[in-house]
Amino acid sequence: MARQIYDVIVIGTGAGGGMAIKTLCEAGLKVCALNAGRRLDPEKDFRYHRMPWDMKFRGLDDPKRRAESYGYMDNEYTKEAWEHEIPFTTAPGTKWMWPRCFAVGGKTNFWGRSSARFGEIDFRAASLDGYDVDWPVTYDEMAAYYTRVEKMIGVASTIQNRPSNPDGAYLPPMNFRCVDRILEAGAEKVGVPYLPDRIAQLTQKHEGHPACHFCGDCTTGCDVGAFFSTPYFLLPKAQATKNLEMRTNALAKNILVDENGRASGVAYIDRTTKQEVEVLGRAVVVAASCVESSRIMLNSKSRHWPSGIANSSGQLGRNLCDHLYGESARGYLPQLLGQPSFPDHVSDSTIAWMPRWQNLKDPHEERFIRGYSVYPDGGCLDFPWYANGLDGFGSSLKREIKRRYPTPVNFTVQAPSLRSDTNYVDLDPEVKDPYGIPVARLHFQWDENALKMWEHSKQACAEVLRAAGGVLEGAGEAPEIPGYSLHETGTCRMGNDPKGFVTNRFGQTHDVSNLYVCDASVFLNCTDKTTTISILTFSMRTSEYLVENFRRGEHQAA
Amino acid sequence: MAGQGIERREILRILATAAAAAQFPGFSKWVFACGHVGNVALQIKPAMYRPQFFTAAEYAMVGRLAEMSAFNPVSPVRKLYCVAEFIDFMVASDPGVQYNFRTGLTGLNADCERTLGKSFAELSPDQQTSPLEPLAHKARPGEEDNRRFFSAFREITLIGFYTSEIGFKELDHPALKLYSVSPECPHKDDPEHLYLSRVNS
Repeated sequence: MARQIYDVIVIGTGAGGGMAIKTLCEAGLKVCALNAGRRLDPEKDFRYHRMPWDMKFRGLDDPKRRAESYGYMDNEYTKEAWEHEIPFTTAPGTKWMWPRCFAVGGKTNFWGRSSARFGEIDFRAASLDGYDVDWPVTYDEMAAYYTRVEKMIGVASTIQNRPSNPDGAYLPPMNFRCVDRILEAGAEKVGVPYLPDRIAQLTQKHEGHPACHFCGDCTTGCDVGAFFSTPYFLLPKAQATKNLEMRTNALAKNILVDENGRASGVAYIDRTTKQEVEVLGRAVVVAASCVESSRIMLNSKSRHWPSGIANSSGQLGRNLCDHLYGESARGYLPQLLGQPSFPDHVSDSTIAWMPRWQNLKDPHEERFIRGYSVYPDGGCLDFPWYANGLDGFGSSLKREIKRRYPTPVNFTVQAPSLRSDTNYVDLDPEVKDPYGIPVARLHFQWDENALKMWEHSKQACAEVLRAAGGVLEGAGEAPEIPGYSLHETGTCRMGNDPKGFVTNRFGQTHDVSNLYVCDASVFLNCTDKTTTISILTFSMRTSEYLVENFRRGEHQAA
Repeated sequence: MAGQGIERREILRILATAAAAAQFPGFSKWVFACGHVGNVALQIKPAMYRPQFFTAAEYAMVGRLAEMSAFNPVSPVRKLYCVAEFIDFMVASDPGVQYNFRTGLTGLNADCERTLGKSFAELSPDQQTSPLEPLAHKARPGEEDNRRFFSAFREITLIGFYTSEIGFKELDHPALKLYSVSPECPHKDDPEHLYLSRVNS
């Protein structure tokens, strides 16, 4: 019996893969989706409505797992969703945190939901400040895709007319809380923007999805689908076409090639049987997330591609970028001492943002190039973390904890690293995963530019807090370790020159015309914005380009 | 990953440094064990809690210190909150903190005997506050070891309390309710919030 040949094999079902799967299936192409983990069952896997005292470990985690935990996100509410079987290594001197969600939908199940568009200032950054190269796309050609994505997923925000942040098509914004109003007034005094974030959280019913009920536990999953995730928004539409076959627990090992070096399918490990399986397709989309996609492609060696598929440029795995995250300031607002508690927790913290305000008029007005954004937060949140900074004990301590409950505030910086020759992913020559596949090895250091942004943000946020009448109590001693933001980019960068870039401006690899990349690995850098909405947007564009290539007969349809 | 409030990271950091649990003996009053089978909490039947780590005498002292740390220094309420069970569970599960907790209790007792002529447990409720006063204020000079112990003890007590239902209720924790619209600041005429009535300050 002849083996089935799918039109397209898509590796990954997160933001990039999910958008590709939906787009391709709706265009009538037969798609086989490979997902490295299982399907989540919202009823079983999303525990976000349980209270801490209903959880065995108060919602935190089994301390036996402390050594392997990814930290705040990898807790008792979500622990089975995060990947721990497949290891990775780091080069000497590199620290890297690599939380991976291999469940269907990937990290969209738990993402932070901030959804700002990249702008022309990002795509033309190199022309403005002379560092690196421009993106091979313009904002004008991406704007319509962003609009379609925003309408598809539902993004709440306002028209803000910011030079670095193009406006879009928005649902009503999240309302400002008391802490926001106070900090907004302080920010205005020092000339820093304080605005409603662009947040993919449904402030009203949208496209058949229910409005948010503001429980505040979004980052542990939403079992009603009131914020965008591919299992709720995209994959059901693909399933409805009957053009999708989803294979779960299918860990992609390498991309198969034919006698001409073109992609012919994917070899994967069935993690339930431990057996290697091959699936054939006329085109392959890699969307396994930035580092994992690089790992798969680097492991796809053949006589045609001895250093990894589509790597004639030698740039596969190179140019890894990330967002530096850190606590720029923390303190409290005396105005709110003793006030009744207020539902400040309702969005898990992305109600407001302080979008990039640096280097807008002159790309060199600061001691660093480009810019960063800040996420402020505060008020009555999950736990009175400030309690350990208070003196006393007994009733007086508890009274003070209660009195301070509405007042704490903090600021988190989101600062992009710059492209660097020394930040990259390769394969560890000595370490293999339990299935015999070489693991990814990370090489990464924060650059001086990002560290200057971090220092700048501390001063700026302290000024905002003080201008708001707040009391500054400190800031983070060091940035979070690289990888913490989950916003890694680069490693398969897009560009017009096949000698310098892995893919062309449509995410199609220069070397292998039926191999496409649909995740943040095609981005040239990570800008000051989060990545998910741009992954969706670029994936939509790449997928439609792929469909058009099928229509033109470049990839023969089944 | 925008949207991850510092407070979540902070509580995890606190818990990681404070204590951990490697086994679950079953708390008698305020904890339900979840086997992660479905989205239904599997309640373990209340049972007499037997300390996993502390001796009986230590456990009694832990209970009293917990009451004094985060509750009412002179009115025992242990039977209501059972925070001592939580502390014992956490310390039993984390060998890295066991030495400090045991020597901390011993050190506090030794100081009480040296300065007041009785062990901590033998002091009256009023007398028990005096050895804790210098330990609970960072600014005061004093016995560094005992202060570190009491700080760690107070921290784990607060975790136990403020992740409990009664702790949520005491804070009027907003997660006890759901909302049909995104909650909005009600003080539009006072953006800097300079003229709020002081209900509890």
